[in-house]
Amino acid sequence: MNDIDSDSGQALEPSPDNPSAVPPAIPAKPSVLRARLAKILASSGVRAAEDDGVPSHFGFGVDRIDAALRGNAGVDGLPRAALHELHAASKDDRTSTAAMALLLAQRCRNLDQEERPILWISESGEARRQGRLYPPGLAELGIDPDSILHVDAPDAIAALRAAADGVQSSAMAAVIIELAGKKPRGLDLTATRRLSLSAQKSGTLSLILRSGSDPDNPLPTAAFSRWSVAAAPSLALEANAPGHPAFDINLLRHRSGLYGLSARLEWNRDDQVFREQPSEQNTPDTGAVPALAAVRTDHQDTRAA
Amino acid sequence: MLTEKIRGAMVIMAADRQAVSLGLGTGMKLADARARVPDLLAFDHQPLVDADLLSRLAEACERYTPMVAVEPPYALILDITGAAHLHGDEERLAQDAEDRLDAAGYGSDWALAGTPDAALALARHGLKEGAEAQLPVSALAMDAKTHQSLERAGLYHIGDLAERPRANLAARFGMDLTLRLDRILGLEDRPIDPLRRIGNIVTERRFAEPLTHIDAALACLSELFAEAAERLNERGQGARMIRMMLFRCDGDVARLGLETGAPTRDAALFKRLLRERIEALNDELNPGFGYDLIRLSIVASEMLAPQQLRLEGGEDRRGDEVALVSQLSTRLGRDRVQKFAAADSHIPEQGLLALPALNAPPPVPWKRQSPDNPPMRPLHMFDPPQRVQVIAEVPDGPPYRFTWRRKSHQVMRYEGPERIASEWWQRKDGQQPGKGGLTRDYYRVEDARGRRYWLFRHGLYGEEKANPDWYVHGLFA
Repeated sequence: MNDIDSDSGQALEPSPDNPSAVPPAIPAKPSVLRARLAKILASSGVRAAEDDGVPSHFGFGVDRIDAALRGNAGVDGLPRAALHELHAASKDDRTSTAAMALLLAQRCRNLDQEERPILWISESGEARRQGRLYPPGLAELGIDPDSILHVDAPDAIAALRAAADGVQSSAMAAVIIELAGKKPRGLDLTATRRLSLSAQKSGTLSLILRSGSDPDNPLPTAAFSRWSVAAAPSLALEANAPGHPAFDINLLRHRSGLYGLSARLEWNRDDQVFREQPSEQNTPDTGAVPALAAVRTDHQDTRAA
Repeated sequence: MLTEKIRGAMVIMAADRQAVSLGLGTGMKLADARARVPDLLAFDHQPLVDADLLSRLAEACERYTPMVAVEPPYALILDITGAAHLHGDEERLAQDAEDRLDAAGYGSDWALAGTPDAALALARHGLKEGAEAQLPVSALAMDAKTHQSLERAGLYHIGDLAERPRANLAARFGMDLTLRLDRILGLEDRPIDPLRRIGNIVTERRFAEPLTHIDAALACLSELFAEAAERLNERGQGARMIRMMLFRCDGDVARLGLETGAPTRDAALFKRLLRERIEALNDELNPGFGYDLIRLSIVASEMLAPQQLRLEGGEDRRGDEVALVSQLSTRLGRDRVQKFAAADSHIPEQGLLALPALNAPPPVPWKRQSPDNPPMRPLHMFDPPQRVQVIAEVPDGPPYRFTWRRKSHQVMRYEGPERIASEWWQRKDGQQPGKGGLTRDYYRVEDARGRRYWLFRHGLYGEEKANPDWYVHGLFA
């Protein structure tokens, strides 16, 4: 296997979608160079942007954050063909973390022409104790419950195996695996590396969800990025009613060395984007949420509501 | 010797050969038998164990024909129509079965006949084919009174009855008797109820030398599936349910079943699923002295048009999804791989179904949300709801502070109540006041740290309950 950690495409600035732009000074045939470049690209975790008309990266829909996540790849946002980790900041933030993972998967799914399902894998014991996914609630977030393929795994090992199969198959838009506890059985560098490599090969977004973990002192994994997610107070609506889902996200680790990126996001179901919550809490009585600056009109999913 | 207590006395239900030779038999009281043979061994009669043994024998007999029916309490019926030539002829098939049973330590009586009832009657009375007329009238298996009156009329054998006009017999003893008579005489056939449905397509392989290696057996199954797939292809069908039987030469039968998410003829997929299935087995396949017959049948199949590659290239994603669902269902069990479906109930926890993804119904659109509203239903749900201690300013008002899992939460924002009545029409006398079940008042609340909860008060204060309990039913994102 090629080492994917060492040089995650540092020298790959020449835009990969136009490999013929290699300087002609090198005495080698263009076809040879092209093959070599493709090989490097394939092994570096950076998939060529727009290699089959589908964007290779996805973001939150918030320009500030997506631009900050650019890293070495030269494309805004996070790579789809990779493994990302979401940690619940505390045990009580499990629901918010699950929502964040589902919403990111949903944004990713909206990029596709085809409607591929999202594979959601959870441990049955944890779901029984801490609450299970409730389809009408998914619909309320703008995620079609029919797009979820739910696997109720008996334990963490079975969950990881199911995830490995899901990531390999490329039939899924995203694979989300939820693991509870400080140190779930079977979750180690090898397992995550395997997931990560499969994700690169198949182009399937893979998300690991952790609750009850210690985000400041996490297990070493091969994830491309690691986030901590917490619930945030929402902007109140009329009559002081709880408002739209709000999250505090915090980037803990990124392959390109980014660190400390944090934001308070609010989910807009109707447009299927996140937006930054204004820090001021002086909500007027109308409770009107500020108008959205830039709505990405290209992915308005009509089925979403 | 097996005994059972009937009307206060221990009665012999079954006796072995030695006991029979001593003049003991069924129906005799145990005390009488003990008086004759003092050192007699008696055990309790366990009909369920017998039935279990009989059905195991029936399974072992499926090597001869797929049409095996259990005829309680002590008989098996094999429909060997079209199957006898595989063993030479009918006699040799029956002899082979007797030998195998004998080797396993079971004595047996058998008979060949045109109808199941005739064969049963012949076997029970130790006669062979064509001897129906010599059967006693008790072979009709009517009640004792009928048998007695028949004999009193001078009709001792089936042959005597057969000569009589049916109308008179029917007038005297009822239609039932003539029906039974016709069945024994082979004038009327009775369909038997085989243990299992026969597959549409059955492929099998017999081995002169039993296979003792699992790998060889699995390879054989793959070959059998490829054969079956060819025949499916001719019909334009694909397999949905596959059953495999591995007959061990000592009579044990291992059964394996596979189900796929969509009709398939893909041998590679079959191989993968088979491997998953074997890994998921509780007790491993044990070839013992080897398998001498391996059979694969396609139990359920569906139309599957020949696949066409897409013009623009690219792989078939739908097929990938089906393969993944089949694979996961095979490994984890079909109930663990689910698709959600809406159920027709407004009670929140009853409004959904998690159905096996293997044969999920086509999706039905979910309720649309009104734009600009925040989520009104939680992402995670507790079923059953969890108790919370709530302090409210007024007993029928919104919560002010609540304690859940030993943590206190101050309510900063709330919305509600959303009143959800119980399904009183489902209850007995539900239309009468006080009997319709408790109404729930739901509140969406947010605490100081920004976590959003779905709480409800169970029962209307004062009207339905003096001191209603509070529960947390779900968590919002």
